[in-house]
Amino acid sequence: MVWKDFLVERRSKETLNSLFFFALLLLFVFQFALGPDRERLAGTLPGLLWLGFMLSGLLGLGRTFVVERENDCWEGLLLAPGDKSAIYVGKLAGNLLLMVVIETVLLVLFGFFFNLDLAGILPALAVVIALGTVALAAVGTLFAAMTAQVRARELLFPVLLLPVQAPVLLATVKATEAVLLGEPLGSVAHWLKLLAAADVVYVAVGVLTFDFVLEA
Amino acid sequence: MRRLLGGATLAGLVAGLVMAFGIAPREATQGNVQRIMYLHVPSVWVAYLAFGVVLVASVVYLVRRDDRADRLAHASAEVGVLFTGLTIATGSIWGKPTWGTWWTWDARLTSVSILFVMYLGYLLLRGMVEDRERGARFAAVLGIVAAFNIPLVHFSVIWWRTLHQPPSLMKPGPGAMPGIIVAALLVNFAAFTLLYVYFVTRRTVVLGLEAEAEA
Amino acid sequence: MADNWSFVIAAYGLAVVVLAMYWRFLVRRERELDDAGVVRQQLRQAPGVSGHAQTEPGSRSPLP
Repeated sequence: MVWKDFLVERRSKETLNSLFFFALLLLFVFQFALGPDRERLAGTLPGLLWLGFMLSGLLGLGRTFVVERENDCWEGLLLAPGDKSAIYVGKLAGNLLLMVVIETVLLVLFGFFFNLDLAGILPALAVVIALGTVALAAVGTLFAAMTAQVRARELLFPVLLLPVQAPVLLATVKATEAVLLGEPLGSVAHWLKLLAAADVVYVAVGVLTFDFVLEA
Repeated sequence: MRRLLGGATLAGLVAGLVMAFGIAPREATQGNVQRIMYLHVPSVWVAYLAFGVVLVASVVYLVRRDDRADRLAHASAEVGVLFTGLTIATGSIWGKPTWGTWWTWDARLTSVSILFVMYLGYLLLRGMVEDRERGARFAAVLGIVAAFNIPLVHFSVIWWRTLHQPPSLMKPGPGAMPGIIVAALLVNFAAFTLLYVYFVTRRTVVLGLEAEAEA
Repeated sequence: MADNWSFVIAAYGLAVVVLAMYWRFLVRRERELDDAGVVRQQLRQAPGVSGHAQTEPGSRSPLP
């Protein structure tokens, strides 16, 4: 696990810088595409925010196993002794860390560009984002391992991940919408429960099936 | 045996058509457009059945490593996608005269569409992995993830749509439907299930021959 | 409400076309692969059992 974290650290430096820049670009693109009209943008903010998270996630998570592949360490992964699910958990932890960093940056940028007052709603928002991120990263890590060895992986990864993430996207956007409107978390309890269920299911399936993905 | 199954399927489909157009009455509120339901609803059923079979076959494959389970999963997914597409198309055709638009983000249409793209991705993955054994493993994992995702999709879409909109017209309570319409639906359910079994068995055989030809 | 028979016919017509096409695909593919399998088997057998008169001598031109 320590070895994993070391890998994560090293990859982060490569990936993080580009992802920060990508997040900034996303903000620009959203603004340009929708026009500078604040009123109209306000209604689409939760969607834009999660679109930003998802797109960054697609790029960031898709690179989960890039280091192993490019440095010919794939065999090492396959032959690693012990339980393969430990690798999954390690990778998932690394990805969660990556996603949290990116999401924080995106959130700050959103607050800055769209004049959001985040201070008051931050705890509630953090709950929603945490639940959504675990779901995104759990499936993303699993699929990244599957697509790493496939041709056209850059295409296949989002094509597989996005449909599966549809319920997560619906839930997080709706919950974020309520939070941004200042409603209490209780009003979106059903969405949070759905997200929690998704987290449990995805992580459980990931842990249980990762063995088969990394089989020699 | 297969000939018998094929014959039974054909007979079932003809009976279904007779029930849909000959026996079932013109529905009071929707008119004859409602007759599309005898095609649409059994298609959804077959789609869900197919994806359930994909789940079971995927688990069996991962545990037993039986290539036949893998082929069954592949065949079932393909037939499932076929019927999901049919469901969306017929739902859309039904929606035009009923809602006045080809497409609305109705709860059912939405969740079926998500299933459609999810399992299209599954078939895409199968086509893209060169190594047969590895492709089978990956597909099985995806088949399991996708199946567990179905309830999540279902509930999220229902909540997403019905918070601000009344439930769709498509779902009258079972008590509201006259017996004869239920009977016509049931005949079509049976016929489509037979059709599913027929398609899947044939497709499984073809996949087996394909594997043989490659070996 | 209007009857909109055209929509009903369109829906059923579409279903018939799609399902028939899939059925035809299955039948054709199976026949194709069956034929290929038979040919392969004959090829496999031919060199092994050379004395067997499965192929007529005249039907295949000898290699020059």
